[in-house]
Amino acid sequence: MAQLETQLDGVGSAPAGLPPAETLAPPRLRGGLRALDDSRFFPIFLLTPILIFFLVWNVIPLLWLLGLSFYRYKLTSSRAEKYVGFENFRDIYESSALWGTLGRTLTFMVTTVGLATVLGVGLGLLFWGSTRMPGRRLALTMLFTPMVLPPIAVGTFYRLIYDPTFGVANYYADRIFGRTFDFLGDKDLAFPAVIAVDVWMWTPFMILMTLAALGSVPKAELEAAEVDRLPWSKRLRYIVLPHGKFILMLGILLRTIDAFKTTDLVYLMTNGGPGKQTETVGLNLYRTGFEAFQMGDASSLAVVTLLIAVAFTSIYLYVLNFRESRAQAQTGAGA
Amino acid sequence: MATSWRQHLYHLLLWLIALAFFAPVLWIFLGAFKTAGQLVSWPPRWVTFSPTFDNIREVFARENFWSYFRMSFVLSIGSVLIALVVSFLAAYCFSRYKPTGTNFLMFLLLSVRMVPAPAVVVPVFLMYTAFGWARTFTGMLLFYVMFSIPFSLWILKGFLDGVSLRYDETALVNGGSRLHVIFRVVLPQVKPGLVAAAIFNLIFVWNEFLFNYVLGGEATMIPVLLAVGVNSGGSVDWSFIASLSLIYTLPPIIAIFLFQKYLLVGMTFGTVRGEV
Repeated sequence: MAQLETQLDGVGSAPAGLPPAETLAPPRLRGGLRALDDSRFFPIFLLTPILIFFLVWNVIPLLWLLGLSFYRYKLTSSRAEKYVGFENFRDIYESSALWGTLGRTLTFMVTTVGLATVLGVGLGLLFWGSTRMPGRRLALTMLFTPMVLPPIAVGTFYRLIYDPTFGVANYYADRIFGRTFDFLGDKDLAFPAVIAVDVWMWTPFMILMTLAALGSVPKAELEAAEVDRLPWSKRLRYIVLPHGKFILMLGILLRTIDAFKTTDLVYLMTNGGPGKQTETVGLNLYRTGFEAFQMGDASSLAVVTLLIAVAFTSIYLYVLNFRESRAQAQTGAGA
Repeated sequence: MATSWRQHLYHLLLWLIALAFFAPVLWIFLGAFKTAGQLVSWPPRWVTFSPTFDNIREVFARENFWSYFRMSFVLSIGSVLIALVVSFLAAYCFSRYKPTGTNFLMFLLLSVRMVPAPAVVVPVFLMYTAFGWARTFTGMLLFYVMFSIPFSLWILKGFLDGVSLRYDETALVNGGSRLHVIFRVVLPQVKPGLVAAAIFNLIFVWNEFLFNYVLGGEATMIPVLLAVGVNSGGSVDWSFIASLSLIYTLPPIIAIFLFQKYLLVGMTFGTVRGEV
């Protein structure tokens, strides 16, 4: 009973900050915990779970991948894997189809990120003064909905919307152009149609990042500009841009990485077709591994993709650290 | 007076933009309440249809729907909870002890999440098949734990770095144990970080498709049902697809309505803070 009381005491005073902790653990346990606590193994104890996950789900698969990328191995054939050295990589390098896919993915990334950025920054600026808008929370939820939707659901939506016979997009196309289109089946239209969906999905993200960038601009400087009656173009150039550009840059980089990853969306909308018009790197990889079952080829392709992704991540973190060190330097100078 | 009019017009414009972005989603959601004929009618019916709940009822009546639905819930909640515990402990260690290699490990973990999904599916598939983990519930659950760890770690590390070391020191001086410091002193202060990490990883796991498609087996979730329904060949049962999409996409939408202030932190893995 007494013990329970001291425990309750401990719980009661916990939010206030710093209760005498001995009261929390029963005496028997205390010895063990103390030993663990003071030991220099304590940090390792904290890290053990994540290291296990890292080892089993990252390191082992990575080694597996690296190993298999030097083999010819087809999942469906009974022949044992055969060591071929760098042949898979040479195949990748020499295959024109693959360079085509890579080029297409690059075009996809540049177009969709570019369009989403232009649209997002424009609309973000428009939403800048929206704090007193009635029903803002609901409106923003509707605005930001596309980016939290499952890509697979978005693909489904647009299969219905783009449908050549009864799709709602075709109804409006008919009203405007006087004819219907097979958006996802036509070899000239499929790629732009997929890009349009991706831009729709990710423009809200760029709006979000623009709003964040605008939020990072110090109020005092804006007020000073207001007092000085600085024209809007100059306010954007001399006040908003210098403060906001880092967050915007991070947004663009994240979008670029994400666009490079695009797989689910295209898989459901066109499955890379017609022909290979909309096949991205991710989809190509999936089809090599799980439709052609060429695991060796898929592995070496995955290694190349991995290196590209690591490069992207390094750039992202470089910009992030650059921003943080600059912010520290500024606050340091201020203090 | 004139400014007030302009204000109203401005707000109306913003609402119209928001509605324009929502329109395609709304179209599908409306489709869930139409009969098969009305869904594919030409010209499209935005309002002129008599709402029916038959489609939704039919989805609920399908036997396998509930198993997929339950699996979606159990897998996302279970894996995110485990991931949060694992990454909180690690984030505390990284933030306070700063062991050698902290930055490198954080970088590696983030990189893995930046790779196109199939490049990760291939090796994990090979490993799972060799170990006999493919198509099992545990295999899928633990995979999603790994899937959620990088972003949780990044978000929590960011928040923990913002909690002053003074708290730890004061608690230790007053005789608190390390575990007491971690769970009673520091943990309550990073609650927003925990919420953001939980919500966004829940959404990401909920939305995930490819791993589940390849490795799911007994732990298959709703997206696979959706993809198979659309790609089945022949005529697609659009009423079913629309109703299923409605049920499936509503949770993320409700989540960003309720937790809007965490949107920025969540979508940038804690690298950018602030509210919108």
